Amino acid sequence: MINCTCMVQAGQISAEQEDVLRAETSAFGARHFGSEPSINWITVPEGSGFTEGKPSTSVLVSMNADRALSLAEREPLLRELGAIWEEHAARTPDEVVTVISDPQG
Amino acid sequence: MPLYICNSKAGAVPAEAKAKIAADVTRIHCDVTDAPAKFVHVFFFENAPNPPLGDAAAMIYGQIRHGRTDEQKAQICKEMGESLQQHTGQSADALHVFTSDTPASWVMEGGDILPEPGEEEAWLAAHEAKLAAQENAA
Repeated sequence: MINCTCMVQAGQISAEQEDVLRAETSAFGARHFGSEPSINWITVPEGSGFTEGKPSTSVLVSMNADRALSLAEREPLLRELGAIWEEHAARTPDEVVTVISDPQG
Repeated sequence: MPLYICNSKAGAVPAEAKAKIAADVTRIHCDVTDAPAKFVHVFFFENAPNPPLGDAAAMIYGQIRHGRTDEQKAQICKEMGESLQQHTGQSADALHVFTSDTPASWVMEGGDILPEPGEEEAWLAAHEAKLAAQENAA
């Protein structure tokens, strides 16, 4: 089982967008890491998210890989995951943080 | 990245304190590391399961890029603790502040793999130039 944490700002992602993002993010995990991730969807409460000291519009998506990845393998995966979120969360590249980490322990 | 998460008991961090603490954390991180403020995130939660609060009234957990020195990390924690104490009125022993390291190569922001510590200036210049070129092309 792989895990994925998705952090979004309250009021900025509609329920319809959330459904699509969950589905697309799950499909990404299944496609590249062999199984759909367990998604931990976290909404940052209104007035509680800041980027550069200002109210944040950023989303952060952090997924565990099922194996250790080289940079050559990781970079296109990060790009693909970021593109999913740019498109379906309607964010600019600067508003999307993606993390793909190696298995721990 | 960095991502600083403040978790607290309900009401321990007043709403009006959040922007002040976020501004302090952003300034502290940039002062200590020379990193640009553009990608410093500070998110606040109450009674979140992670990171666990334990006995603390409030805590800040920073996920920062690997490569900072122990002295830099200690300075960040010291100054963030002081900010948290100042803006919440909590005693120092009710507050918990710590960081963990994430390899820069694991993170993409703004469509680019994050730079290693010390390479931020060149990275940011290249990143801004890329964005400008994309805007001109659009």
